[in-house]
Amino acid sequence: MKRPLGTIAGARSGDKGGDANLGVWVRTEQAYEWLRSFLTTERLKELLPEAGEVSRYELPNLKALNFVLHGLLGDGVAGSTRFDPQAKALGEWLRSREVEIPEELL
Amino acid sequence: MIRIGNASGFYGDRLSAMREQLEGGDLDVLTGDYLAELTMLILGRDRMKDSQLGYAKTFLRQMEDCLALALDKGVKIVVNAGGLNPEGLARKLDQGGLGAKIGYVTGDDLKARFPEALTANAYLGAWEIAECLDQGAQVVITGRVTDASLVVGPSAAHFGWAKNDWDRLAGATVAGHVLECGAQATGGNYSFFTEIDVTKPGFPIAEIDEGGSCLVTKHDGTGGAVTTDTVTAQLLYEIGAPEYLGPDVTTHFDTIRLEQDDRGVRITGTKGSPPPDTLKVCLNTLGGFRNSTTFVLTGLDVEAKAELVKRQLEQAIGKDGLTWTLARTDQKNANTEEQASALLHVTVKTTDPKRAKGFSRAAIELALASYPGFHVTTPPSDGTPFGVYKAAYVHRDEVSAKAVLL
Repeated sequence: MKRPLGTIAGARSGDKGGDANLGVWVRTEQAYEWLRSFLTTERLKELLPEAGEVSRYELPNLKALNFVLHGLLGDGVAGSTRFDPQAKALGEWLRSREVEIPEELL
Repeated sequence: MIRIGNASGFYGDRLSAMREQLEGGDLDVLTGDYLAELTMLILGRDRMKDSQLGYAKTFLRQMEDCLALALDKGVKIVVNAGGLNPEGLARKLDQGGLGAKIGYVTGDDLKARFPEALTANAYLGAWEIAECLDQGAQVVITGRVTDASLVVGPSAAHFGWAKNDWDRLAGATVAGHVLECGAQATGGNYSFFTEIDVTKPGFPIAEIDEGGSCLVTKHDGTGGAVTTDTVTAQLLYEIGAPEYLGPDVTTHFDTIRLEQDDRGVRITGTKGSPPPDTLKVCLNTLGGFRNSTTFVLTGLDVEAKAELVKRQLEQAIGKDGLTWTLARTDQKNANTEEQASALLHVTVKTTDPKRAKGFSRAAIELALASYPGFHVTTPPSDGTPFGVYKAAYVHRDEVSAKAVLL
């Protein structure tokens, strides 16, 4: 069933110089197993087409994935011409994207 | 156990948080983070105007209000509000009297090594903070230390940890990372905000034990919540790989265990390993000048309207350094004028202040000679200088951090 990712996932994003980081977490082990296989780097780029080079890290203990979006913010907060130069709402954008979520997780 | 609170997550955070934390219950240490990459640039510009400045001025106001209370309650204050001028802030605070024993940490300034930068500061660690406290400081003021050091330093001093107590230092680093952004640990900016009352979240507290584990909590009666979800959200803020590099320890975020407790969230299991040989340096250079404006495009032919104004502005001042973004916020056949409108943002970045200023003039000259319905959200200014942030790395031997007691 197509639903916003944020129906089951929380997120927090921010800046590190010209890179943005985007942490995504879910609240059950079952949901984490799905998230880990679903939210690949390629999938993230499909959902956030503005992303360029992306690194992905798994944090199973926190039921979370962390992404680093390299170069998204150009010269950093003060120099960036990007809308939302500190990437504060990148996570909320991702949560609003509609994806196929298994019904048992809803 | 040592009870460490946080009263600031950035320069500009809730001014009353210091008093709220001191009056709300017992604490051993109250910390405050005032520095971000951008803040160093702002302080750098302050210092250009007046070499006596370069610190977070709001901290002085908080101390005027709260230092007597903190001394009375025996709560030590540890902050990085010194920014580019920790000694200046420490001396200024000392003039205010009350006889508090004040220490400061210096040595992070590497401007001599990076002369082209407006600001160049190494991220120092916890041990100079610990040294100040060991020598009896009641207030410790630092410049650029890692945010977590504000919590690791007091913990290491309290328990007498050794420099190779990697797991303990890593545990305290995690506590520091959770605390460093204030209310972001207690329900502020939280994805599932509709599930809790976050009208006025309280500021966070970590009760750290001798082994480096901690309980994250907040004073009774304050708003927000401390749950495994609110703490997870903050743990994920501004991190990269699970090996979180710091000046005192490498903290392995994939070993952290969270457990809900009646009073908050218990954090255990964190593993640490030796830190890298290099220290990170925050460099801000002046990149040039920028200016921007937003054209409002209402109703029909939005793309064509954007094309026209773009062509006009580029013909007037040239394409160089312009960035355009068209946000299609407009809806068809809308019931309000605002919902019928799209926003066309344009920014100029240039090394020439005259070009940044000329941008404004060129944009405004179009006002009666462009697309139908021409108006802008806010008129462009004269343009402002902008900074470029860069990280550099230096060997730790090249940096000599020092603890000084006044």
